[in-house]
Formats: sequence, C-alpha cells, structure tokens
Amino acid sequence: MSGRTCAARDLHINRGVPPPCGNSPAHGERKVKIPADLDSLVQALIAGEREQSLAIVARLVSGGTRSFDIVTGGVEKAMAALDRKCTAEQFNLLEIMLAGRAVMAVIRELFPEDAALPDPRASVVVAVLKVVLTSSRFRVVDCGRDVPVAAIVAAAAESRAAAVCVSGLISSVVPQVQALKPALLRVGLEHVRVLAGGAALKQCTAGTLNVDHVGQTAFDAVSYLDSCLDPCLDPTTGGLRG
Amino acid sequence: MDSVERIGRTIHFQPCDRPPVVAQVFAHAAVVCGRTVGEYVSSGSRAAACQLEARDRYGYDAVFAALDCTLEAEAVGGEVLFRRDLYPAVVRPPCSPEDDFSRLAIPDPASAGRLPMALEMAGILRRACGDETLVVGFVQGPMTLAAQFLGLEKALYLAADDPDRFLRLLDYAAAVGRSFGLAQLAAGAHLVLVFEPAACPEVVPAGLFREMIGPRLAPLFAAFTQAGAIGNWLHIAGQTASILPRYPALGATIGNFDYCVDAEAVLASLVDSRLCLDGNVKSLSFVTDTPDQIAQDAGKLLRLFDRRGGFILSSGCEIPPESQEANVAALVQAARAWKLGRS
Repeated sequence: MSGRTCAARDLHINRGVPPPCGNSPAHGERKVKIPADLDSLVQALIAGEREQSLAIVARLVSGGTRSFDIVTGGVEKAMAALDRKCTAEQFNLLEIMLAGRAVMAVIRELFPEDAALPDPRASVVVAVLKVVLTSSRFRVVDCGRDVPVAAIVAAAAESRAAAVCVSGLISSVVPQVQALKPALLRVGLEHVRVLAGGAALKQCTAGTLNVDHVGQTAFDAVSYLDSCLDPCLDPTTGGLRG
Repeated sequence: MDSVERIGRTIHFQPCDRPPVVAQVFAHAAVVCGRTVGEYVSSGSRAAACQLEARDRYGYDAVFAALDCTLEAEAVGGEVLFRRDLYPAVVRPPCSPEDDFSRLAIPDPASAGRLPMALEMAGILRRACGDETLVVGFVQGPMTLAAQFLGLEKALYLAADDPDRFLRLLDYAAAVGRSFGLAQLAAGAHLVLVFEPAACPEVVPAGLFREMIGPRLAPLFAAFTQAGAIGNWLHIAGQTASILPRYPALGATIGNFDYCVDAEAVLASLVDSRLCLDGNVKSLSFVTDTPDQIAQDAGKLLRLFDRRGGFILSSGCEIPPESQEANVAALVQAARAWKLGRS
C-alpha cells in the first residue's frame, strides 16, 4: 500500500485494514501478516481493499474454508453492512464502487468460470447494481444502455428472469419505463417484477412509473427482491437464487 | 425593478420588490419554440433565440447561455453523440488515466469545438437583455469535468488509487472551466453558474470535496469575481445538505439545493450564513404534476424563506425539456404574485 493511499484515507475514503499509514507493515518494512478470518475479510471488503481481500481469501482457501462459506460469511456480510450504511444516508458512490471492485475480485477468484464480470462499457449505475445483486447470489443479465422495451422483454423471457431492473438518469425515459410492465404482461410474463432506480426515476412513485418498486439505492433492489421472491423460487417462474 | 437589480439585491440580502424566480430552462426553451433538442444544441444563435422567446413567454428573471453538458469534453477531444430529442452524450472520453494532465492543452474558447457557440449565445443574450434580464453563463466544475474527461468510473478509481495524479486532472479541469467561464463573462454573461453534480456527497466523500474539489472551486470563483461577475453560482444536484454551509468560504454567493434537500433543515443550518439559495421544486414535477401542485410547492418555499431573504425561487435542478408549459408558468406566477414580508 502506498503513501498515496494514505492521502485517500485522510479524505475519509474508508479504506485500509489494518491502518495503512505510519509504521504500518503494509509499507513494506516487514512482511505483512494477513489475518485469515471471515471478519477480517468483511472489514477489508467494506474498506474497498481489493488486494488485501484477495490475500485473505487465499489464506482462507488454503486453510480449507469452502468458497460457499467465504461468500456467505464474508461477501454477503460485507454487502449487508454497506446496505446498512446506505440506509443511514452515509452512502457515496466512490466507497460503494471500491467495495464493489473488491467484492468482484473475490468472486472472480473463487468462481473464475461463473463470475459475472461488470462490462466496462456499461454505466456505473448498472455496474454497481450488478455487483450488489451478484454478491447477493442473484444471476444478473446486463442488457446494456438505451435498450428498447422489446429487447428487455426478450431478455427476461430468454433468461427466465424473476425481475427486471431499469435505471434512468433523465426524465425522458419515463414513458418507456411505464410501457415495460404491459409489454411483459402481453407475453405472459406477468410474474416478472419490475424495479426502477436512478436519478430521474427515483423522483417518481411506483404507481406513476407503473412498476413494482422504486429504489433509492442499489441495495433497495436486493431488499425488495429478498422480500418478495424467496417464497416463489420456482425455476418455471424465473426464481434465480442459486 | 429589473431582474438584474432584483437578483443582485437578493444575493446581498437587500430588500427588493418580490423574490426573483429563475426557472432552470435550457433545452425546454427549444421545445417551447417548436424546435428539437438537437437543433438547440447545434447553434448558439438558435439557442439564444429560443431562450429569449421562452423568457418572453414565461417572464422569469434569468436566461442561460447554456447549450449542454458536453461542450468542454468535446473541445478537449472527446467524441460526442448527437441525438434529435435528447441532449448529446460523451461516448468516448478525451483522456485516459495514463495521460500527463499537466501537459494537456487548454482548449481555446474562441475556436475549440462548440465553445464559440456558447460565447455567441452569451453575446446575443446580453445585447438583447442588457441589464434587464440576468444572463447566466455555464461551465462545469472540476470534478464533473474530470468525470467526463476520463469517464466517471475511471475518475473515481483514480481519486482513490492515485490521488496525486487525480489532483493534476482536477487542476487541468479547473483550468479548462476557468478559461471558458472568463470567456463567457467577456462575451456578456453577468455571472457564471458552475455545475458540479459529480461533487455531490452521494458521489464522493465530504472529505474529498473539502480537500480536493473545494480548493479548486475557490480560485475559479475568485477569477470570475475579478472579471466582473455580479455573483458566483454553485450548482451541485443531489443531497448537499452537509456541504452547503461551506459554499460561502469557496466564494459562492448563490447555492442551488435540490428537491431531496429538506428546505427547513437548510434554513436552520444557514442561520448565520449570507449564502443566497435557489431551489428546490422537484424537476420531474414539471412533467408529471399540475400547475396547482407547482404553485403549492412554490408557495411553501416562498413562505419559508420570506423573512430570511436571500432566496431565488427555482427548480431543484434543470426543468426537463418535455415539461408542461403551464407548470413552468405556475412557478413564475407564484413569485411574481408574492409580496415580500407577507408571512
């Protein structure tokens, strides 16, 4: 860890476990002793420390901890803590992105063939939502930006999705969002939940947008899906939990 | 009392005939005139004509010499996608994190990209308005430009991973904004609005705003003041309650607050502050609500700030292009009918 990261920490970007400044062993004066427990992983992920998170995971795996347990005891707990932080209105995109980057690195490390990688061409909002959903063990199909309603409906049908999440930063997308639910209904996908978010859409009510839920943060999507999808985890209706 | 005097007195907390009203109308002016957004952003003279026609129709106190939010990135070399009914978008940022930001050239406002269109627009508006209606120039703040020059994701990661390099990017972005803003003032703008949504505490930590962004906004505003701006307008959308009290120390005299910021809490937090506020009717309400609802929201704000003064009735952010004209008219009418000291 470099002195530059110390500067970032000074600016309250919540990074670094253990503290990176001063005589921290992370400065290379002596070998870093990486803790190998799930609580340390949770703290490193929350702090957005990608390399440290990976080092902890490596030690956990070599010590015999199963990948599934690392996800449930580490990644999911970290995401839950970030969710609480959002609820307390301490949210900022930078911290969430750093944590998300660390989470995705851990997931790639643990599941190199299955991990859904954020498309670097996708918008940040989509990437953050994808990280949050993926780390909560949802499978995410990223349809990209400026996608027609018909293409979203086709993707929902093809992937047997349980829910469609749409984000809008400008108010002109409202009519397309309003058309989504009827379009799903027309092809027999009335069970698919529609969630909306983003700077423009979160000014609206769910009723105005004709969707099932409007989220203020990416974590709202997980909370909502947790509350309404678990009882109906049926592959034929698109239950996605793995 | 004309609009420039009204706004000038309001900035300085001096009594005037009624509260100023500034509808944040940009490309909505084109829609009002039967033009497309694409037509608006591709001609300074056309955009100026739309601004003037919209002002005549609505009767608000300020016009904007503003086209869209891609001008600076385009002038630096980014690729911009133009669309008929939507604002342009930067589809290829002009810089990469590996660039030596201290060596990048500052685009000449007189010749680079569409910057000259904005200067032409400012000149036309000032000649038409004189000192009767406020002519507002428009630049983007250093953090927002940094996000456009690299792409938001890369800019934020750079801020965390290599703050020294990120500071050089912020310095470059601030220099671009300074050059463009000064040119707009020279062309006729009364003041410059610095649009800085990427500095919102929902995007970056408050410490980053304080230590990295603020020190670049302060000299920007100082330069504008020295060039004759009658005020400095800082516009950060989103939840800004925690940073609004810092605006005066940066040299901002007008601070925008968005719909999601609680007006009463802002009033309480700025009890000893001389920051003039503008806000905060929800932008989307101009699309979805009725004139009565807009009038009701406006009335609440006017009552709340009546005794304090230093308040410009406005939307929380831009009034969307597709807004209903009756709703914009309702906002303006609420201020025009208001007698100060009523509450």
